[in-house]
Parts: sequence; structure tokens; C-alpha cells
Amino acid sequence: MSAGSRRAQELARQQALAAAKRHRERRIGVVAALVVLVLLVGGGIGFQAWRTRRAPDAVPTSGAASLAPVAITDGKPIVLGQADAPVKLALYEDFHCPHCAEFEEAYGSVLTAARESGKAEIELYPMSFIDAGSESAANAMACAAEAGFGASYYEGLFANATLRWSDGQLIALADQVAPGDTERFNSCVRSRANAGWAASIDAAADANGVSSTPTLFLDGARLDLANLTPEALQTKIDEAATT
Amino acid sequence: MSATTATRSALSQTSVWVSTLARLILAGVLLAAGILKAVDPAGSVAAVRAYELVSSPLATPIGWGLPFLEIGLGLLLLVGLHTRAAAIVSAFLLVTLLAAVISVAARGLSIDCGCFGGGGPVASGETRYTSEIVRDIGLLLLSAWLAWRPRTRFSLDRWDGEHLG
Repeated sequence: MSAGSRRAQELARQQALAAAKRHRERRIGVVAALVVLVLLVGGGIGFQAWRTRRAPDAVPTSGAASLAPVAITDGKPIVLGQADAPVKLALYEDFHCPHCAEFEEAYGSVLTAARESGKAEIELYPMSFIDAGSESAANAMACAAEAGFGASYYEGLFANATLRWSDGQLIALADQVAPGDTERFNSCVRSRANAGWAASIDAAADANGVSSTPTLFLDGARLDLANLTPEALQTKIDEAATT
Repeated sequence: MSATTATRSALSQTSVWVSTLARLILAGVLLAAGILKAVDPAGSVAAVRAYELVSSPLATPIGWGLPFLEIGLGLLLLVGLHTRAAAIVSAFLLVTLLAAVISVAARGLSIDCGCFGGGGPVASGETRYTSEIVRDIGLLLLSAWLAWRPRTRFSLDRWDGEHLG
């Protein structure tokens, strides 16, 4: 064998080795990326499970004083605020509807101020069409209103809208917003005492032509929420209160 | 250098820049879609459920996991790592989502696609299936191009014997 062909053989061997190394490195890279992707998705699912199953956070209460207990009647909304208030705001929401949580974040303070100043009463229709959590939250909302802490419980439900609303979470939220003896409330939540009422609210919403949430009526007129701002709502409430 | 080689080289330079743009657009859209959904776990499960395509227990892992798959693919595309594989997986994902939206439209359901958070039922006059479908097809074309021509600038991928800088 000549020196030249030996050198060529050696070169070919080295090239093959280098190619094998590159191939191996690329395969390790692909496997590593796959592992990271799987860990990311798995970790994400675990993270969301934690976020929806944890205990509710404390609620920054708007200083809502303890209200008188509110009666729950089939097909009729929960009325929050003074019944003789000049403006009536009918609010249709689902406690698990993302747009409702956004609405509450943007408009909640305007609605609370209108209610507390006596300008408006809020007729709340808590609908339950998104999932099982919507329904248990609607039931618990009615239980809280009957127990006299409906307004702050309402704020707490939206402040913790990522939770799935198991009975334990709904009861823990009551402990946060209305510390004290909540035994009656707890059994009301566990026994789904207002499940029939929650179903009647869905039927009432349907009868009133409401098919999506959030929906807001001011003195019977449906407001176009897509083109509304908190300031504009404030103005509308003030105008309606003085006329 | 002959004239044809020069033309070919100019063309390949253009294709590299087109691919770079496609990669960055896809990365941005996937990251935005993933992050906006990941912040609202109950909402994204509800959005999956609104399609009425998967059984109830399956909606939860899909609603929670899909946003993180989008974030992962978006990150890979952003830094340009395994660009071709990421583009192929994105294309499969987009075909699936496209089929889901088309099936919803065909069945006459009234929902928001929930592609960038939100989602769930909407009033019957407020569906936007056509624009959702057009947007998904556009993104699908971008990922198909990127799978075909995965060489891009500002990327961590190394192409044998060539340095794109």
C-alpha cells in the first residue's frame, strides 16, 4: 500500500468519526429539547393544578359593611344594595367566565361605589354554564347573601377566579371575607341548598334574552360593554340617578 | 462567479431572510397565545370544553398543557433551536387547531376560539370564524415555509460546513 493511499484512508476515517460525532451531538440535542418540552408541559399542568386547587387568597375588602341578609327566591336575582336606590343594575355573570373576571376588575369599583352610595342596587344573576365550579360558586353566592355577607363574598369569588371552587375552597373563602360562625353557610354550601335556585337563574337569564356573560342592564336597557369604559358607566349611573 | 450562481446566491439570501421573519413571527404569536392562556387556567379549560370535541376529563390537561406547549415551541423558535422540528410540530398543532375551528363552524356552535385567552360561548352574531381560519392558514403557511427552509439568521442552529452569522 502506498503512503498516499494510507493518508487518504486515514482522512476518510477521521471524516467518518467527525460525522458520527456530529450525528451523536445532534441526537443528544433533539432528545434534550424534547425532554425540556415534556417537562415544561408537565410542569405547566402541575402548576395549574396547584393554582386551581389551593386555598383562596385574602380579599382586599372595599370596606363593605355587613349587609342585611338577602332573601333568595327562585327565578329572582340576588339584590345587593338599598332596595329604594334610584338606579337598577341587572348583572349577569358566571363566576368562571374569564371576561366576567376582567369586567369585575375594570368595573367592580364603579359598581361597588354606586351600591354603597345608595345610587344603585345591583340585581345579580350568577349563571352556571361554564363548568361545575360555576354552579357551586353560584350556589355558595346565594348562601353568602342569605347569611348577610354577599357583597364581600362576591368580590372574593372574582378575586380568586382561577380556583376550581370545591366546597372546601368556597368555605375557606367565607372564613376570609366573613370570619366568625359560618356553620349555617357551610352546610348550605355542602348540601347545595340553592342548586334549584341556580338553575332557575339560568332559566330566567334565558327568558330575559341573555345568552352571554357578562351582560349588564341599566334600568332595563342593555349596555354595550364592548364600547363602554368605567368612566362612561359612572356617568350613565350618575345621570340615571338624577333624572 | 457565473451569473446563475450569483442569482442563486441572492435568492438563497432572500430565502434566509424570509425564513428569519417567519420564525420570529411564529415565535411571537405562539408565545403570546401561550402566555395569555396560561394566566387563566379555568378559562382555558372552559375554552377547550366549548369546542365540544373532547370528553370532559380530557379538557383539563389540554386546557392546562397546551399553553405551555405553545410557550415551549415559541421559545425554541425565538432562539432558533431545532428550527425545522419546531416548525413541523407547530404546523401539526396549527392543523389541529384549524380543524377544530372549522368543525365548530360547521356544527353551528357559537364560540370564541380562545386562541389568545378568553374563549367560550359568545352570542350567535359575534363569532369570527372566518378571520380565525384565515389567520391560522397564514401561520400554517409560515411554519410550512420554515420547515422547508429552516436556515435563518440570529439562530442557535448550526448548519454543517456553513456559517450564516
